[in-house]
Amino acid sequence: MDDTELDTRLAALAASVPAGEAPPLPKGQRRRFAASLAVAAILVVGVTATASGAVEVVRQAVIGYEGVENPGQPLQGARMECMSPREAEAFLAARGFVEVVWQVESGGASGKGGSTVVQATAPEHGYVVPAAIDRDGVLHMVVDQRTGAEPSGVCGAMAMP
Amino acid sequence: MSAGERLAAATAVGLAAAADVRPAEEFEAAVRPHYADLVRRLVLVLHSRDDAEDVAQEAYLRAFRTWEQFDGRDVRAWLYTIGLRLAFNELRRHRRRLAAMGRLRPVPWTGPADPDLSAALGRLDGRTRAALLLTAVDGYSVREVATILGSPEGTVASWLSRGRARLRAELDRPR
Repeated sequence: MDDTELDTRLAALAASVPAGEAPPLPKGQRRRFAASLAVAAILVVGVTATASGAVEVVRQAVIGYEGVENPGQPLQGARMECMSPREAEAFLAARGFVEVVWQVESGGASGKGGSTVVQATAPEHGYVVPAAIDRDGVLHMVVDQRTGAEPSGVCGAMAMP
Repeated sequence: MSAGERLAAATAVGLAAAADVRPAEEFEAAVRPHYADLVRRLVLVLHSRDDAEDVAQEAYLRAFRTWEQFDGRDVRAWLYTIGLRLAFNELRRHRRRLAAMGRLRPVPWTGPADPDLSAALGRLDGRTRAALLLTAVDGYSVREVATILGSPEGTVASWLSRGRARLRAELDRPR
């Protein structure tokens, strides 16, 4: 069997699957979602650690995986490091990445008194660090809010958003 | 309140209501035509009709919530991206449930049109199934599939090559 025949059979199989109608859109959906986002921003999954420990968390999460912006990666050349966290969140949502883990680093850049918070929504400010997709296919984004933090990549002179 | 103030207030309320309805209409006009195909892809990726319908509904509602952030390029690819990412999450949860339940295994969906192909497809990894469908059925390039699935191009190319080889081997095997 050649590729063309296989593709034809796959297309016929896909077409044979019965599919129902799309569900009705609930009224006031957007407003409720806005409220849930506000709650999500408050009810963050808090994880405290030293800043150096936090960097290790990131390393563990993405070990063996290239950044999503690297050549051949799904968001090649996206330059999200030039965006504010909220802009990066909107950029990702526009591409269908609606479930993203945001890891926010804050405190001192020296590694003392730092903290890491993992949350479902992007924070308002901080440098976006090119991130990776972990073994489970979850997109992780890192936002560096630490004192003395510097932007990475091509946006070297950018002030912290 | 004067008649002018009442008119202004009523207009403001009306405009606010219209602003709420218009995106919903735009969304339905753009996204609804792709819903049935999303369900069909998800049935073949998840191999469960019930799970596919649940995931498709969730994807549709999530797409609506983020409609204003959509960049307007390829609405089908955007919807598939949301749906397939939810589907892969569901597959992970499903594996964990199976591990917890031991031998209690639900009966997988089998396509009536081509049971041999359906069964062979079901033995592939979920992401390989999705990559095959997106290229063979929807005509996406390897690069586009990589973006939809959130995986490197080289990995997608490898899934496609191995997936096709396995399907051919199973379907060509004498019975």
